[in-house]
Amino acid sequence: MSAFAPWSIEQAEVVVNKCASRTGPVLLTLQALQCEFGYVHPDAVPLVARTLNVSRAEVHGVLTYYHDLRTSPAPAHAVRICVAEACQSVGSGAVVQRAEGELGVSMGERSVDAIDLESVYCLGDCALGPAALVDGQLLGRLSPPQIAAVIASLRSESA
Amino acid sequence: MTLLHEPDFGTPERESDVTVELTVDGAAVSVPAGTSVMRAAAQAGLSVPRLCATDSLDPFGSCRLCLVEIDGRKGTPASCTTPVETGMVVHTQTPRLANLRRGVMELYISDHPLDCLTCPANGDCELQDMAGVVGLREVRYGFDGENHLDAPKDETNPYFTFDESKCIACSRCVRACEEVQGTFALTIAGRGFDSKVSPGGTSFFDSECVSCGACVQACPTATLQEKSVIDLGMPTRTVLTTCAYCGVGCSFKAELRGDELVRMVPFKDGGANEGHSCVKGRFAWGYATHRDRVTEPMVRESIHDEWRVVEWDEAFEFAASRIKSIQAEYGTDAVGGITSSRCTNEEVFVVQKLVRAAFGNNNVDTCARVCHSPTGYGLKQTFGTSAGTQDFKSVEKTDVILLIGANPTDAHPVFASRMKRRLRAGAQLIVLDPRRIDLVRSPHVEAAFHLPLQPGSNVAVVNALAHTIVAEGLVDREFVAQRCEPAAYAVWEKFILRPENSPEAVASIAGVEADDIRSAARLFAAAGNGAIYYGLGVTEHSQGSTMVMGMANLAMATGNIGRDGVGVNPLRGQNNVQGSCDMGSFPHELPGYRHVSDDVVRQQFEEVWGRTLQSEPGLRIPNMLEGALSGQFRALYVQGEDIAQSDPNTTHVKAALSAMDLVIVQDLFLNETSSFAHVFLPGTSFLEKAGTFTNAERRINRVRPVMSSRTGLSEWQVTAALANALGYPMHYDSASEIMDEIAGLTPTFAGVSFAKLDEVGSVQWPCNEGQPDGTPIMHVDQFVRGLGNFVETPYVATDERTTRRYPLILTTGRILSQYNVGAQTRRTENIRWVDEDVLEMHEADAEPRGIADGSWVFLTSRVGETTLRCVITDRVPPGVVYTTFHFPVTGANVITTEYSDWATNCPEYKVTAVEIRTASQNHVARGGQLAAVDQDGVSIDDLLDGETLAIKEEFAHERADVKLARMLDQIVKNSVGLTPEDQVERVARHLRGFWTPAMVDELAQAVSTGAVTLSPPAAAAVAELTAGAPSAAS
Amino acid sequence: MITVYVPGDSAARSVGADTVAAHLVAGAAARGHDVRLVRNGSRGMLWLEPFVEVDVNGTRFGYGPVSSDDVDSLLDAGILEGAHHPLAHGNVDQIEWLARQQRVTFARVGVIDPLSLADYEAHGGLAGLRHALTMADDDVVAEVLASGLRGRGGAGFPAGIKWRTVLEAQSDQKYVCCNADEGDSGTFADRMLMEGDPFTLLEGMTIAGLAVGATQGYVYLRSEYPDAITRLNEAIDIARANGWLGNDVLGSGRVFDIEVREGAGSYVCGEETAMLESLEGRRGMVRPKPPVPALQGLFGKPTVINNVLTLASVPMVLADGAAAYQALGTGRSRGTQVFQLAGNIARGGIVETAFGVSLSELVNDFGAGTRSGRSVRAVQVGGPLGAYLRADSLDVAMDYEALADVGAMLGHGGIVVFDDTVDMAQQARFAMEFCAVESCGKCTPCRIGSRRGVEVIDRVIAGVDREANLMLLDDLCTLMTDGSLCAMGGLTPLPVRSALRQWPEDFGGNP
Repeated sequence: MSAFAPWSIEQAEVVVNKCASRTGPVLLTLQALQCEFGYVHPDAVPLVARTLNVSRAEVHGVLTYYHDLRTSPAPAHAVRICVAEACQSVGSGAVVQRAEGELGVSMGERSVDAIDLESVYCLGDCALGPAALVDGQLLGRLSPPQIAAVIASLRSESA
Repeated sequence: MTLLHEPDFGTPERESDVTVELTVDGAAVSVPAGTSVMRAAAQAGLSVPRLCATDSLDPFGSCRLCLVEIDGRKGTPASCTTPVETGMVVHTQTPRLANLRRGVMELYISDHPLDCLTCPANGDCELQDMAGVVGLREVRYGFDGENHLDAPKDETNPYFTFDESKCIACSRCVRACEEVQGTFALTIAGRGFDSKVSPGGTSFFDSECVSCGACVQACPTATLQEKSVIDLGMPTRTVLTTCAYCGVGCSFKAELRGDELVRMVPFKDGGANEGHSCVKGRFAWGYATHRDRVTEPMVRESIHDEWRVVEWDEAFEFAASRIKSIQAEYGTDAVGGITSSRCTNEEVFVVQKLVRAAFGNNNVDTCARVCHSPTGYGLKQTFGTSAGTQDFKSVEKTDVILLIGANPTDAHPVFASRMKRRLRAGAQLIVLDPRRIDLVRSPHVEAAFHLPLQPGSNVAVVNALAHTIVAEGLVDREFVAQRCEPAAYAVWEKFILRPENSPEAVASIAGVEADDIRSAARLFAAAGNGAIYYGLGVTEHSQGSTMVMGMANLAMATGNIGRDGVGVNPLRGQNNVQGSCDMGSFPHELPGYRHVSDDVVRQQFEEVWGRTLQSEPGLRIPNMLEGALSGQFRALYVQGEDIAQSDPNTTHVKAALSAMDLVIVQDLFLNETSSFAHVFLPGTSFLEKAGTFTNAERRINRVRPVMSSRTGLSEWQVTAALANALGYPMHYDSASEIMDEIAGLTPTFAGVSFAKLDEVGSVQWPCNEGQPDGTPIMHVDQFVRGLGNFVETPYVATDERTTRRYPLILTTGRILSQYNVGAQTRRTENIRWVDEDVLEMHEADAEPRGIADGSWVFLTSRVGETTLRCVITDRVPPGVVYTTFHFPVTGANVITTEYSDWATNCPEYKVTAVEIRTASQNHVARGGQLAAVDQDGVSIDDLLDGETLAIKEEFAHERADVKLARMLDQIVKNSVGLTPEDQVERVARHLRGFWTPAMVDELAQAVSTGAVTLSPPAAAAVAELTAGAPSAAS
Repeated sequence: MITVYVPGDSAARSVGADTVAAHLVAGAAARGHDVRLVRNGSRGMLWLEPFVEVDVNGTRFGYGPVSSDDVDSLLDAGILEGAHHPLAHGNVDQIEWLARQQRVTFARVGVIDPLSLADYEAHGGLAGLRHALTMADDDVVAEVLASGLRGRGGAGFPAGIKWRTVLEAQSDQKYVCCNADEGDSGTFADRMLMEGDPFTLLEGMTIAGLAVGATQGYVYLRSEYPDAITRLNEAIDIARANGWLGNDVLGSGRVFDIEVREGAGSYVCGEETAMLESLEGRRGMVRPKPPVPALQGLFGKPTVINNVLTLASVPMVLADGAAAYQALGTGRSRGTQVFQLAGNIARGGIVETAFGVSLSELVNDFGAGTRSGRSVRAVQVGGPLGAYLRADSLDVAMDYEALADVGAMLGHGGIVVFDDTVDMAQQARFAMEFCAVESCGKCTPCRIGSRRGVEVIDRVIAGVDREANLMLLDDLCTLMTDGSLCAMGGLTPLPVRSALRQWPEDFGGNP
């Protein structure tokens, strides 16, 4: 996963100002901040509100609505396994189980070595499931041993 | 009256020329196109179950209780979001719908505490009601599923709690905050089952919430609940009354439990507020029962004595005997009275009657002197009546709002909400204000132009706006030709086209870009409907009256008078500024703005009152104070105004008060002024009064007693008793009788009576035979004075200039949570938000002075100084500093000077040259006292250099005749004419209309002794007035 | 110079196409061959991915599925001359699976270099827009109306009627919004089109925009499709640079531009009003209708909202005329439909064909049964809100009306196959759970009902008060169907009830 910039309010101002002239800018501004810093720092909320002339509450509402947006620093790696029907039909359940076992966490949690295990509903790889998005890269035809290998390689990358 | 439940039609009313006919449950209904099926059903008397719908909010369609069946349509559409169509056949009650509704309620209750019997909303809960309405008998899901029952309570707001466990996520609070209040402080956080109302991820107290109560009002459950209801229980009866804070004049349902007030709920049928409120009106009423209330009369021989509690009769006798002896010794004119814009019309009426009939002079003035007297003067000169032209609702039809010297979101919050709604719907806004007020930019509102003009340059800018409009051919020629005096227009056009009125010439004076002035002028001129709204930032200047006329000129030139969406609209500071002026509180006018010199009018009053009345103007407040210092004015009756805190140059005010033999203060609390009083007559709060208030839109609203008088008497009874003690018989059985007398004597009030108001709710004057239902919009077909009068408005710079010693300009204003001198709001939980006045200052001014954000500073003008905390902000431009005057500890008015409007003497609060320097908290000037001493015994004066003190000394003791000459000089400068003779005539007319003969005489005397020198026109005018009089001859 | 095609489609990449491409280029160079690599879209024969094609004198020979380990043996076998190999499928155009289809919307997908404007035009691109620019706006709308083109997002509403409404609305500003929030499991046609032939979508949107008087278009694209986002943005830049987007569309003096807006993880934002809210940058909460978006849509302005495939079908309608399009299909379902075979299926991929093909044909003929080799037990048609059909009831024509007759719906054309190991009670539970996770939370039946639905099904599965809970579940399903604000809550009962009705044994009942 690409390295994110460390949080800085000055840099955040630059990001937010760039978005300010866009139409309907709140969501895309939060996305831009997350793109820059890996997450939306709570201090960005008043900045976004002030710059875009909306209320802090509105920004908070948007920030908490979308599952993609997070308010704490990004993990070292993210493993997002599709748990929707098409992938279920070819055994995503077993893939999930194996990933949970490898990482020692349940879906929706972060492992001690900062790998997030998340569920996702459909990655558009429905004929080649089970699928997963690992650090932004789509993987298809996954099996439990393959997910274990993927996780192992993430760990060796971090190490 | 039992608890008043107002009908709720579920969705807002729609306007349409097209009527749609449909059938609901067999009943034929006709409604305007665009109406919802729900509202149509409600109009047919059929109530469709609902939780998320209420007629103050746009339909939302979330609860799904209001589903109906419509013949020929699939499914079960929600009646709130389905518009009616011709021929529709709607069924609101079918077995299918009954099942669905029970199903919805079953879901709600599966995630709701089962504590109805101990819930504060028990009996006032729509969720509870709906469970009954749909016949919910069991919750088959059980209660052990996932739920929110353990959600924490937020009790941080002083007035209401947020109990999330009871929230049904209907979003009514969120929508009320957006649609009604316009603050957007609430949201739904999360989504799906985790959706919850949130003030933005923080506590209510730390959020953007302005505590207007709209969310509490909208909540159908006990989720958002008044703490007073939690503490005291559900109210059992309602008294309809009117708020006593600002000039919006909101109607409230005072809800009581027995005789105890439980809560104030904004009244939907209230014309001014239509169901909305602000933090002050809705919640900050606790001062009425505050322990500081004085409820018994008190007297003392000298202001150095302790107060002595006495019986009412003794107090009246004490006061009356002193007044009589003073008048015997110093003459009839040595006493006077001040009416209060916080009191009812009836109370004000009897006070001015007391002065005119019992004191026998016209020395009556009002606190409106220090706020909106220029409005009265300016609009009378141009339009012919001293009042705003529109109703509040008019703003909903406005395309461009020109907002000048007003900060509605803080000072008139309920009207501000209406304005913001219109702005969100697409109207444009131009703000003329030195300070970047919230409306310049706040969530979902952004002004097209903000002209941060230098304080004192209003007239220059309004002239430049008009100049642009005339020069660029943007005048509404047709309107001007049909509705205005042609000669006056021609003179004005010539005047306004002068080069000194061009934006380019004005730019440097005002510190505003010429292009911005031009663009703003074009925007305003191009508006279909352009409306001007203004506040004390217009009036409280040495040219306040000129500015009012300048705005009136602008409105006429652009054809923006006489219909919905336009007009010149003063935002009145206090609840009854309009009313107190209407009631004859000014020394030159009898009730209804008729000059005391009008023999016909005066005779009518003389007949009814049984006394001969003076035909010449009496003293204004500043004249009274001057007179006190010179020994001619000896006694003052002040009702409901704290002039020692609110009037300018309080050092001077206090000196004048100290010099009087008798000061009678009638108020709720001992205040700054009562420190100088000999008689204290306890007053009643609005919750104890019967009467009427007249708001900024001329709306006369009933004030009804919610609780019994804490003092045992009403103010008008006290005034009447004082009159009787003075030997003038005055008797009324009720406030209603007083209004009958007002109506009998005042043509614009002829149709007003308590009975009428009780029947129709409220009326806007004029209300008489010609306008039996009142007059929402004035000057529709013609101006009150016939043709509109353009008046030349030359820009004359104030004498208050920045100097090397006082290089900054101080301007003052209000904040949301506090009100005026704070007598009421400081005695409520509102102090939780703000408990001190602070000085706003730009970084560019703070930095070179070594002043840090939050540090203590000395604020010094040539008349006084105080100490307060500094906030560094870019809300104010460099060179301008800003503060409020809510707290006596600051005593900000110790700083302001006695410079005043040339026409009305309204003080120039908005422009004071000052200097700021760092201080320590130990040097706090308590109560604004000059001699405040720090811990080491060093006075603040000790910290200032000798020269500063000398200058202060000089101004503090400006000679009375010099002062009069200076005032006359201002009148001359503002009364330009075509010819020298013309100008002299104008000045003379002004003096005749507003000055007492004694003042003119004093000036003539000074001229003759060579003590002062006047300019030729001034001298000529004085000579004209004194021709034949002994003083002129000598 | 030999042209070799290795799909850049993300599905192909998910199974190693990038490595295959790299190996191929390296291997060819090592063998002294001068190779031009094109990262085309996918042909839609996903079970064959990575599917390598070699252009031999204008004929494209296909090989797949190719793993990087196979590359050497393929090169050695001489595939650059179209030689045979165990992975060879011969002339791609003659592969029966493809030849049986009627590729209209997908005509260029997999064939061309997605970002080559020359390729695009060489294969008929821009003909529709050029033609439209010669016509009056009303006539363009009339043409679309006459073609019978219906919305492909699921509702099947005639596109021309929407366009007409927007055209006739008076407003200073109008918009075209492309709904590319393809969130249904089992669907990937939008993604493949945007990755494989993005210009078609842009052309369709431009025709729509010019026809109705809009100057700005937005594509709302889900964040789960990072490749599509990149590809579409690249295509927009190219279109702008070449003068057919922007201030002077193809020299006509008319204005139209397109911006991609990324979703942020919300299924319900595929619902058109929630999508508008999200495009406005707000919480993706469903709006009540009326007002319809055609009159009050994005920022309250009249807005055409169409799905990717709908808009991508427009260029063909304008290029070849309404009659040509109208000639395809059956009954009121005109034109072609892009079916997506997914889940446990042997030959998953894109089948574009005229309406009216039977589900059995798709699953058993095109799809060749399950990937696991076990028997088919259930087929879910139309995404997570679609009904499950039994293996013995697949003999249903795939058009809007015929499916409605059997209580199912076509949705976005996704078909997910399950073998006999599937537990239908768990699938029903999943439908409720999915609704609970993705509900916007606005309306009560969906917000609380879906959560309670999971709990009730759990009790049924556990055998707790089975009959009473089944009755409660049925009442809940009725409430969600009749009472929900949008299709999310309104259709969730469809998979639940279809499972309950057809597989009672999985819920502890008698089969």
